[in-house]
Amino acid sequence: MTDSEQPETETAVSQPQWPENGGQWSDEEGGAGMDECGLAEMAEEDEEIDIYNNETFGMEVGDTEGDPTNPLFKFGEKPPAPPALPSLSPSSPSFSPRARPQLRVQGPPGRRGRGQRGGQAMAQMFEDPAVVRTVEGRPSLQVITTLARSVVSKACREMLFSSYVGVSCNGDVLFTQVGGLPSPRPCPSTPQPLTPKMMQLRFGANSPRPSPFYSPSSNRVQRFRFPGPVTQLHPQHRRLLSQRQQRSQRKPDSWDPYCNLMSAKEKEWIIRLQMIQLQSENPHLDDYYYQEYYRRMEAKLAEEELGMRGKREPPKLTTPYVTKMDSYTPVVHIEGSLGQVAVSTCFSPRRAINAVAAHCPHELFMVLLEVEEGQRMKAQVLGEGEEKGLMEKTEIKVEYIYSQLQHPDLEAEEEFLPCLLVSKGKQLLARLLPFLSHDAALKVLSMVTSHLPVLMSRDADESLPVLYPSLRIVIGGMTFSQLIGVLKDFTTSLPDSSDGSVCLSLVCQSKFGLSLLYALLSQGERLLSSDVPLEPSIGDFETWTDTVFLVASQLSQSALVEPLLLPSNLLTLFCRYLDKRTIHQLKSNME
Amino acid sequence: MRFTSRPKMNYMPGTASLIEDIDKKHLVLLRDGRTLIGFLRSIDQFANLVLQQTVERIHVGKRYGDIPRGIFIVRGENVVLLGEIDLEKESDTSLQQVCIEDILEEQRLQQQSRQEAEKTKHLALKERGLVMPRSDIMDEYGVQHQY
Repeated sequence: MTDSEQPETETAVSQPQWPENGGQWSDEEGGAGMDECGLAEMAEEDEEIDIYNNETFGMEVGDTEGDPTNPLFKFGEKPPAPPALPSLSPSSPSFSPRARPQLRVQGPPGRRGRGQRGGQAMAQMFEDPAVVRTVEGRPSLQVITTLARSVVSKACREMLFSSYVGVSCNGDVLFTQVGGLPSPRPCPSTPQPLTPKMMQLRFGANSPRPSPFYSPSSNRVQRFRFPGPVTQLHPQHRRLLSQRQQRSQRKPDSWDPYCNLMSAKEKEWIIRLQMIQLQSENPHLDDYYYQEYYRRMEAKLAEEELGMRGKREPPKLTTPYVTKMDSYTPVVHIEGSLGQVAVSTCFSPRRAINAVAAHCPHELFMVLLEVEEGQRMKAQVLGEGEEKGLMEKTEIKVEYIYSQLQHPDLEAEEEFLPCLLVSKGKQLLARLLPFLSHDAALKVLSMVTSHLPVLMSRDADESLPVLYPSLRIVIGGMTFSQLIGVLKDFTTSLPDSSDGSVCLSLVCQSKFGLSLLYALLSQGERLLSSDVPLEPSIGDFETWTDTVFLVASQLSQSALVEPLLLPSNLLTLFCRYLDKRTIHQLKSNME
Repeated sequence: MRFTSRPKMNYMPGTASLIEDIDKKHLVLLRDGRTLIGFLRSIDQFANLVLQQTVERIHVGKRYGDIPRGIFIVRGENVVLLGEIDLEKESDTSLQQVCIEDILEEQRLQQQSRQEAEKTKHLALKERGLVMPRSDIMDEYGVQHQY
């Protein structure tokens, strides 16, 4: 089917003319070519193409309409051994359908059918290597003709040279660009299963653009591929991206001879590379802000839609980013890249942890986060060996944080003080407390109570209450003797002061102090009224009664701030020890 | 000089991607203080840039001059920032373009006066017992400041 005319035309038109106006296209060969074709023949050929596509690749019904790459895809799959296809060789034979992002041409397309004149003109343009290239081969024959026809018939106005060639024409083919922006493509309704062969293809240098995962979005016509087969974008994100894609593609660009230096493949390569580095077993921890942002967006949308059409489940990211890996390679070399990527997981944090500057709460937070993550992971079903390993690791981390928080050069009593004076330190300690052993936690508590005046006075931003919940839990596990010991701190008075303890008066003014006091008293009352044997030390009961009296008198005299929590058994406690008048006063004060 | 202000959504959550900037005109500020303007043609994972039809623009006061440079390959770590130039708004500026020789001369004078001021300051501080590192010496990052 070689056209005898073709060589002449080639030599005649040595310099492809980039038309500044569309008129030239129609005026020149395209027009002539058009006349030859006739509309009926065009339609016939289109049908042929559709049939060919369907038979060869089993496309779904309705796909061809929106499928921008149908014909071009096919070539990648089965070029029927045309003679001039060397540029296709790296990737041609082994692609799965719909996976071929770009195609190349070798010189002007050799075979022509009808509408060849228009095709020739296009071919001239395509000789320029900076421009879009099309495939050569038998199917290309049909494509070229369709291409020529569609291009010619639509005229330059609608051609987007810099982005892609070809235009949708009466439901004809919509071409993908060979370079530049990622092209719109329909997405199959189910994700492709990952056969080993496909896995191989995906990560090599010649790997095709992988198919996207299922997205609930129903926009089939102009959806585009998301690079990165193993990283899933949030459905909202995907939707936003496709919207943006549509918007940017509607803008016609003026011709740029140097554009598309980077092929789509190269762009995807970079994106994929960067995506891989973002992969994580635990996106909620590693990529918190992204997850949170889209979760809130979803929630907001769901709320809006709630009014519109009843409760509809917003699309959720149900699959994890990455399936759990059993082996851990600390350093990964990605094929074709320079250098290596360090990998860290929840179970094996980066080695930089060891180099953490001591006494810096900020970095300790990272370790704490990991500990908490570990706790959360425990809730999931883990293998026995893993659970044990996790426990050990958690313990190590907790001990590490604990030791880091202590100042080695201060006395035993004042170890955590510098840490507690900073609001971040308070937060850190509050979150660490649940993980500490009872003894360690008690130590922290006693330290807090013994330095309460200092802490309260230095608590400028009122961040002490953050410690309250954790401490309350610790108190709930105290024995009577331990309780008494701690309570003593509240009632010790300065040697030269005649009235009640300074601490108590300060406590009445502090939300945190008061709540802590209440919690302690409540615990005492609980222990006393329960049947649990108390095993008190000598003098405990006396101290207890004294304390209660002292506290009661102080509380009834001073104005009290509102505590964080008012335990219900406090009044019963006071009732037992005090007279009615005092109780009455106490009651009015406390409420 | 005004940049386009359209918000960018990219493929990679939480990271910056230059993919969408390709084939667009950009202004690139380098760590050595130079300003380059060119079409961003290619990038890689280290944000190395290929700029085509590049022009080095020297600003002195309200005047500027362009030196055409052709194609630049910029190592990513040397970029301070870059931004897309809106081609429509590009000429909408109060700055005045002058020829290269003039601007280079102005720059030279500016440098000179700055250095003299620096010297005087340095001397004054030294007399008061304070020794400050001078700006014509590189700082710890190997960056020289021209402005």
